[in-house]
Amino acid sequence: MAGPTTWDRVRDPSEKTLGFMLLAPAFLLLALIVVYPIGKLIWNSFYDLRLSGGGGIKFVGIENYVLVFKDPDFWNAAKNTVLITLITVPGALVIGLGLAMLANLPFKRKWPVRLALLLPWALPLAFAGLIFAWFFHTEYGVVNDVVRRVAAPPEPAMWLLRPNWAFAAICLTIIWKTSSFMALILLAGLQMIPKSLYEAAEVDGASKWQQFWQITIPMLTPSIIVALIFRTITALQTFDIPYTMTKGGPGNSTETLAMLIHKTTIDYLDVGYGSTLAVCMFVLSMFVTAFYLKRIGRNA
Amino acid sequence: MIRRTSLTALMSAVALVAGLGASATAYAQQTTLRVFSGGANQRPDLMRKLFDQYQAKNPNVKVEIETGGATSELQRQYLSTVLNAKDSAIDIYLIDIVNPAQYYGAGWLEPLDAYLGKPADVMKPYLPVYASSNVVDGKIAAMPAFADAMFMYYRKDLLDKHGVKEPKTWDELSVAAAKIQKAEGNPNLQGLSIQGAPIEGAVCTFLLPYWGQGKDFNDAAGKMTLDKDAATKGLGTWLSMVDAGVIKKNVAEVKTPDTVNEFKAGQVVFAINWGFAWDRFKDDKDSTVQGKVGVMPLPAMAGGKSATCVGGWQWAVSAFSKNKAAAAGLVKHLSSAESSKFLAVEGSLLPVYQSVYIDADVNKTAPWFKDAANVVIAGKSRPMSKDYGQVSDVIRTTTSAVLARTKTPAEGVTEIESRLARVMR
Repeated sequence: MAGPTTWDRVRDPSEKTLGFMLLAPAFLLLALIVVYPIGKLIWNSFYDLRLSGGGGIKFVGIENYVLVFKDPDFWNAAKNTVLITLITVPGALVIGLGLAMLANLPFKRKWPVRLALLLPWALPLAFAGLIFAWFFHTEYGVVNDVVRRVAAPPEPAMWLLRPNWAFAAICLTIIWKTSSFMALILLAGLQMIPKSLYEAAEVDGASKWQQFWQITIPMLTPSIIVALIFRTITALQTFDIPYTMTKGGPGNSTETLAMLIHKTTIDYLDVGYGSTLAVCMFVLSMFVTAFYLKRIGRNA
Repeated sequence: MIRRTSLTALMSAVALVAGLGASATAYAQQTTLRVFSGGANQRPDLMRKLFDQYQAKNPNVKVEIETGGATSELQRQYLSTVLNAKDSAIDIYLIDIVNPAQYYGAGWLEPLDAYLGKPADVMKPYLPVYASSNVVDGKIAAMPAFADAMFMYYRKDLLDKHGVKEPKTWDELSVAAAKIQKAEGNPNLQGLSIQGAPIEGAVCTFLLPYWGQGKDFNDAAGKMTLDKDAATKGLGTWLSMVDAGVIKKNVAEVKTPDTVNEFKAGQVVFAINWGFAWDRFKDDKDSTVQGKVGVMPLPAMAGGKSATCVGGWQWAVSAFSKNKAAAAGLVKHLSSAESSKFLAVEGSLLPVYQSVYIDADVNKTAPWFKDAANVVIAGKSRPMSKDYGQVSDVIRTTTSAVLARTKTPAEGVTEIESRLARVMR
């Protein structure tokens, strides 16, 4: 007797073969939408691939990577990205925690508070950027209007035309936009803390301040870490808000890495160098994620 | 059972393919041309009418229209994707005047000499700047559709009221504007409105006072010929007008529509803007300056000559089209004097033929075209480069930063030179 044919194996698979077969569609899908694009990106980063020239594709080895390290625009964008992350992530955490504790108070009606928390989060990033660009406009902006009524300075402030102020305006906008997301996650965490802990602390004579540091913060740490991971990764990818508020200006003083990649590939049509920049950003994100994961491992 | 079903399916598929083949044979005489006609500002509604005219005369040609992209940059991004993929779906496309060199360099467009004739003969009737911009390496890269340029609009009533003549130099303009501002006593009245935000218009903001000194940004081959001193002086001219209060302090925030809206609201004496602004001043319901607007050539720098920034749109035949001869026939119609006149009368789109500017019908609907012709003739084209996207970005970003005073003019010009030296060589 001949052994079972391939067809037989497909029709009556062993446990192991069946496992592979069931996994295959998901695996193929992942390969198609995750592995292939990332592989192609890394592949492109080793080529001179400029769509504007029509000159075709040329292998250049690590030349693009050497250029990145010598490129002042890259370092400027990397600095801005890291600064935005370092300012807006803790900023959003503090504001978000405040909002979460506010929302956790025993209101009679909970939905208006929850809705107020959700709205900034539900607003598309680009809209938020455009709206705040109007807020900070020198002549037509509400910010300068308020400043003028309160302090009456001799000259209106040109928020988006001064590098540091533009940076501050962008950070404020990002914090406003993202703290509600933080608050949502932290609110869920707050509601998991048993009331009995606070009651016991009350009996022991602990002040509200002590309760906050001794009960709330330690019990909330897992939620805080989850919120921080999400927020940090999106902060490293910051694009929409500075793009719509300043387009990276004045000059390129508020340009982030994601904006530089967009400009290089979409405006300059330099796909090779753009891919190299994207790989560098990918590595940066990997490092940060690895750092967080390690911290979580220690905490768990 | 299963076998029979799949057999039936296979047979019906074969029948379907055969049927399609038969109908394709029946329409073999019919050529379909697909034309990309830009966004709303390029008036696809009027272009459709031009296509219909052609279809009526050539019944075997069917023209399909495709539109998209609100700005020149967005259209360029879209077409770059299509053409890089060597897609034959689009036969003809409408491109900005800054693009023929890039598209020709990339091998994306079909030179039209073989269909239309020698470049020198074909281009003769067109305004010089369009005749030269559309010829690349001695070949016809594209054919002019309609013109545009940066114009100097001014408040005729205010100049008359205060006895000020049309200024010929930027210095004269600064003095004239300051005089009117002072006499009017309105703190919101701006002397001059230019575009300083990092948008395409800021490229022209950089070039106007530079060209006004009789300097060129690039030679015929596209190599950069930047005169750093002249460029520094040009940017310095704007800043000194900001210091004099003629241009407002937040000029680096001003975009094209801001200039239009503020001029319409009567808050501006002199304004630089594209040709479309004229209709906005004249026709918009919220315009407070109807009948009070004049157009004049742009001032020069003292000792230089007046020059403006030219825009405008061209028809090009795709190198990947499967119907190049038919496409060239349609382009010939679209770039004819009759089509240019049609666009001028129906949509106030500036003609590319000098003869159309003095046409009686055109002057009846758009009397200002008589003056406009001189402005467009004195116009220059922005730098021709296959990397125009990068050239434009560097110039507008740096110009905006200088106008925001985060860089000095000298620093800005040095930065433009060092960033573009690699690109424009």
